[in-house]
Amino acid sequence: MAHITRREFVNAAAATVGGLALSLELPAQEAARLPGSPHPPRTPSAFLQIGEDDGITIITPAVEMGQGGHTALPMIIMEELGGSWDRLGVADAPAAAIYNNPLFGLQATVGSFSVRGWYTELRRIGAAGRIMLLQAAAHTWKVSANECTIDSSLVLHAPSGRKCSFGSVARLAASMPIPQDPPLKTVAQYTVIGSHQPRVDIPDKVDGSAKFGIDVSLPDMLYATVKTSPTFGGKLKSFDDSECRGIPAFRATVPLDDGVIVVASSYWQARKALDRVRVEYDPGPLAELDSAKVSQQLRAGFDEPGVVARNDGDVEAALASAAKRVEATYEVPYLAHACMEPMNCTARVTDEGCDVWCGTQNPQAAQAAAAKVLGVPPARVKVHVQYLGGGFGRRGEADFVAQAVTAAKALNGKPVKLIWSREEDIQHDFYRPAAAIRFRGGLDAAGKLVALECKVVTASAPNFGRPGGPPFFTEAVADANYQIPNFRVTGLNKDLGVRFGFWRSVNHSHNPFMFEGFIDELARSAGRDPYEFRRAMLQHDREGASRQLAVLDLMAEKANWKHPPPGHSFGIAAFGAFGSFIGTIVEVSVQGKVVTVHRVVQAIDCGVAVHPDNIRAQLEGGMVYGLTAVLRGEITLKNGAVTQTNFNNYPVLALPEMPKVESYIVPSTAAPGGVGEPGTGPIAPSLANAIYAATGTRVRSLPLSRNSFSYKAVRT
Amino acid sequence: MFTLNINGAEHNVDVDADTPLLWVLRDELALTGTKFGCGLGLCGACSVLLNGKAMRSCVVPVSAVAGQAVVTIEGLSKDKSHPVQQAWIAESVPQCGYCQSGMILATVALLEDKPNPTDAEIDLAVTNICRCGTYTRVRRAIHRAARMQGPGAPKPEKV
Repeated sequence: MAHITRREFVNAAAATVGGLALSLELPAQEAARLPGSPHPPRTPSAFLQIGEDDGITIITPAVEMGQGGHTALPMIIMEELGGSWDRLGVADAPAAAIYNNPLFGLQATVGSFSVRGWYTELRRIGAAGRIMLLQAAAHTWKVSANECTIDSSLVLHAPSGRKCSFGSVARLAASMPIPQDPPLKTVAQYTVIGSHQPRVDIPDKVDGSAKFGIDVSLPDMLYATVKTSPTFGGKLKSFDDSECRGIPAFRATVPLDDGVIVVASSYWQARKALDRVRVEYDPGPLAELDSAKVSQQLRAGFDEPGVVARNDGDVEAALASAAKRVEATYEVPYLAHACMEPMNCTARVTDEGCDVWCGTQNPQAAQAAAAKVLGVPPARVKVHVQYLGGGFGRRGEADFVAQAVTAAKALNGKPVKLIWSREEDIQHDFYRPAAAIRFRGGLDAAGKLVALECKVVTASAPNFGRPGGPPFFTEAVADANYQIPNFRVTGLNKDLGVRFGFWRSVNHSHNPFMFEGFIDELARSAGRDPYEFRRAMLQHDREGASRQLAVLDLMAEKANWKHPPPGHSFGIAAFGAFGSFIGTIVEVSVQGKVVTVHRVVQAIDCGVAVHPDNIRAQLEGGMVYGLTAVLRGEITLKNGAVTQTNFNNYPVLALPEMPKVESYIVPSTAAPGGVGEPGTGPIAPSLANAIYAATGTRVRSLPLSRNSFSYKAVRT
Repeated sequence: MFTLNINGAEHNVDVDADTPLLWVLRDELALTGTKFGCGLGLCGACSVLLNGKAMRSCVVPVSAVAGQAVVTIEGLSKDKSHPVQQAWIAESVPQCGYCQSGMILATVALLEDKPNPTDAEIDLAVTNICRCGTYTRVRRAIHRAARMQGPGAPKPEKV
């Protein structure tokens, strides 16, 4: 397989590829501004280029961070195009509005939006390309296009036995009118979607040849590293780099608002020089903040007014008349992303403009950050997207890009590669917000949940993506699929000044721990089986209810829910997330405070399963990310600064701790849902619920290590 | 000046004695398959083979390895043909891939020592961290590589 090297490809293509790519692209900015158009019109050439050498290049609007976007999106185009998979090359899209995700309007690889956002559009593009190729061949042969077919990058004309390759008619195809509404295959006709294709990025990830942002190398490149204020909101007061002057490799100290960058002729020398820079900070207004105060502030919010996200029936009246009332509060800490590849960016600033090389989930945000530093229009900044050594939401931010551009601007046209230390990475993240929920539930005499009141308090963007809608951070609570006649959810955003951001699964990383944990408490209070209790609340005709029910049933069947092995206990949780429905059953045994996880059974209904093997990989990986958080994930604060520094005190799950996991996909013909994000959420509630089943101890805060539980996994 | 033996070839490098081998490989020799992850030898992304044993190159000064045989991911095969690389492809192990050079080299060292490792032996030998959570497939690929390298399996091309 030709996995075409991705840099510069797109701009070069128009000049070098004598095929279907030519002159079809609508200028991106123009496309974005078309009035009344929900999405910029998308032409095949911006996504699909076929060379006269038969090479098919697909330009993916999704970057590759291990989630499989470089394979799944091409599969969708190739399904309709009929191209041969071994002629495929993949290139990253440059920053341009034409690549904005049709579902949410940004060119960002976030929120499990790639497949679900592009599913229809990319099929249309593939189908349009197919028709153009058919018409070009038919024109050449002077036959009707209706008599021609396509198979594996060949156009065939059965009546005459003629055939030709895509490449031989690509140039002519480019001049054919672009079909605006090409017919698409039905799900039953799919041969590529739903099949196993080898991930295109894997071969270069087994021999070190895959290029990540940190691997960028340019002539005359300098190296930089950075340290910034340990306290949130702190500012640089002064610095003294006189001790660096004796280091021959030292080139410059570049001050930032909140710290310093040191530039040298190698990374190691930059790091040594940075250690010799004496920096004084103004610690800022948060120098007294610590984790206990965060917790107090969150819990104080339970009694402060918030925004009503859902209000069905009369929850107060129903609570007052309930046969049994249950109350509990839950809480989770801040978390860091800890991508394996520390934040880094290479930048070069010249009179002509700026080039930026980095792994980014959001090329236009990188472009905008660079443009802002330089005071130039974004069009003057070219972003060269590289592989990402982990993203998880952290690389949707562009703080490290602004820093690299600031350094490059000071270095007179020389490219500068800025690499953060792991300590800088852990201590200057955009953290998964700490959050807390107070629940009040009411059961009737028959043990049915008749009232549920939830107060969600967090530090989060109040209405991201949902202007006028319920507060974003009440996701996985206010949108619960359970039928609860009296159900009120209120959200309160308390911005405590700690930098927060999007962490894998976002609100679904922690709200399900709290919500599904409390649902489990209600089931136990009602004396009901937790699986049956959930099933009973999903017997209504909303689409989400039936799909969530199917996930529950599949898991229960696979885990053999009614019959746990002797001495073992099950915990269960399921919910809707990112357009999919997901759940997990965990099988544990507990001796003293040692929790042994014997087995994790996961199921997802993600609609049409575009790339099943990769879906299973994402479920496994998402679960591991969640399991680390459950077991020991916490960022704590002291004197306004993050306490943790590296993997020794922010430890992540290691290979010996990996439990046995089974992942199942519910067959579905519904439109695709997300798969990268959802898998992270279910492990926390299902593990906590399993611990309750085994011990009678309810875990209402994370991590488990704070509850003095330890953990081990067994594989047999 | 230090003379290094990397992937069977000698290289002279003019760096400070305390420069970690990791940064010599990456910045002086352009062998960027070896990754920086933590700088403290905790994560294993920087693993290389030193005299056949897995070693974390971010905490080993270049002065300590002069003249000794170092193998990086680039030196495993010319064409991704090493059984461990082949097993990794067959099991679709990598996700983001950043930690995988280290995982693969830790596995190569393990199989050199124990050609047919038990799960417990794998647990002891492969302590590298993967944030994408590829561990199930890593384990599967180690067993597959062991089978591929077992008696009767074709020997990998030596570089």
